Amino acid sequence: MSEGPGSRPSWWAHLRGVLVALHIGAVCLMALPAPEGGMNRSAWSDPTVQAELLAWHGRLSVLGLDLEAEELEDLLWEFARGYMEGREAVLGPLDPYYRHLGTRQSWRMFVAPHRNPAKLVVAVRTEGTWEVVYRSRDPEADWRAHQLDHTRTRSVTFRYAWKHYQRPYRRFARWLAREAAVDFPEADRIRVYWWRYRTLSPEAVRAGETPEGSVERPTELDLDELRAELETAGSSGEAP
Amino acid sequence: MSRPGPWTRWVRLLEEREAATSLALFRIAVGASLLYDILTVVAADLVVPLWTDAAHGGMRAYGPLPWLVELLGGATPGTAWLLTAAVVVGSLQLVLGLLPRAGALLALQAHLALTWLNGHAGGSYDDLLTNALFLLLLAPSARTLSLQCRLRRGTWTSGDTVASWPRWLAVGQLVLMYASTGTHKLSSHWLPGGELSALYYILQQPSWQRWDMALAAQVYPLTQLATLATWLFEVGSPLLLLAFWYRRDRTRGGRLRALLNRVDLRVPFALFGVGLHLGIQVLMDVGSFSAVSLSFYLCLVHPDEWRALWRRVRPAAPSPAASPARPGG
Repeated sequence: MSEGPGSRPSWWAHLRGVLVALHIGAVCLMALPAPEGGMNRSAWSDPTVQAELLAWHGRLSVLGLDLEAEELEDLLWEFARGYMEGREAVLGPLDPYYRHLGTRQSWRMFVAPHRNPAKLVVAVRTEGTWEVVYRSRDPEADWRAHQLDHTRTRSVTFRYAWKHYQRPYRRFARWLAREAAVDFPEADRIRVYWWRYRTLSPEAVRAGETPEGSVERPTELDLDELRAELETAGSSGEAP
Repeated sequence: MSRPGPWTRWVRLLEEREAATSLALFRIAVGASLLYDILTVVAADLVVPLWTDAAHGGMRAYGPLPWLVELLGGATPGTAWLLTAAVVVGSLQLVLGLLPRAGALLALQAHLALTWLNGHAGGSYDDLLTNALFLLLLAPSARTLSLQCRLRRGTWTSGDTVASWPRWLAVGQLVLMYASTGTHKLSSHWLPGGELSALYYILQQPSWQRWDMALAAQVYPLTQLATLATWLFEVGSPLLLLAFWYRRDRTRGGRLRALLNRVDLRVPFALFGVGLHLGIQVLMDVGSFSAVSLSFYLCLVHPDEWRALWRRVRPAAPSPAASPARPGG
């Protein structure tokens, strides 16, 4: 530290100046807008994303853009890919700083409302009758709601409702089945699926309409088989 | 005497000191937010499901593991509970002000390991938490309002000074978060000139709803106004940094400087920001996001202002010497 306003700053003061400046540079660079997490072409076919692309196509057409909507999408994809490659080249060397010191800047929060969300539904079959035991935000079907409605599990289910999370979704369904096998000893099957719907406009809500939806990616598992696996695993000390 | 160059001025700026009150309040709030965050996971019996491999009862099958998880023996229940305990201990150290730098390091590494392990089970609030912990790792935040201060001096408070730059970095981090999220909002639902329906439709998303939000349809124009105000607040947030800078030297000319010096921009910024986060907390379930964000707001207030406020609330309290830095700086 320097002794007074007139004295020369110490080497430590200079080093601190460099380090703080580097920190500011690193965090600002990472906070620059980027379509991180959106670079999956199959996710671009989602109706919510398509609606956004169409809205931008309409807006740019008014400004004189002479491209079809598909051409604009291809152009945006190529631009985004190039931009992300450039970003990776710049931020790549800084990755250990973000990763190990917790200085990541990921602020893509609610960048667009999801107009076609999905609710997680879990049903079990007992003596031939199916019963919905869990449905997102349904107080009447609240099996393990203390876990499934927790913020961190909401993040999980929000992600797995997207098609490109198919693999972890299957694993998640298997985890649900394992819990259900214990909680519903009489049940012999479990069905896990998404109920996807389009959120209603304010006018539709005021008119008393209810959303119409459809079942997506149903996964059915045999609980008796799972119990047998659990028993075997229990004796060997591992989860199935 | 000639004016020093930009680098010397930068170096001298970082040598400024102030009382430790704002930093201490930030430390306590971050510790409490982190403690709340981790204890809700424990209370929901989610430590094993979220943070162990499917082979041990978890929701996911993991490939490459974070170095700390690997070091502790893999994504097993033992590792998950050990890291959870480390977060609890670290956050308690921050709340109490007992070796808070060690607590910040412990909580930071344990929290990073858990959230890196299962990146599907987290959100931006994790990044905001780790950024706060990183700043607390750099800053001596236990000089006042801490058990450490009590043990050393026999009182809970002290007039010790600390470097000002960690508090400035916290303010910068808050502004960076808003500016970044604002510039990401390119949806036609957000942008002025569009429908301004973003908040209405976000409130309808089942993933983040705390309550059924059909009622929002009855006050749709209000949600549109809130959408516009939120977007303007986020995109315009860098003005706060400019205002901080201008307030350091009120004597220089310029219309914008004069304008930003006439009003204390921190007041409307904090009023809107606190309202925004309280609204989010009431209407949505986004974990500890609001609590962590509001922790950063404590750094908007200069330590001398906190102490003046405390003296007003408790007139009988002893009056400590003012710190050298100017209020609002």
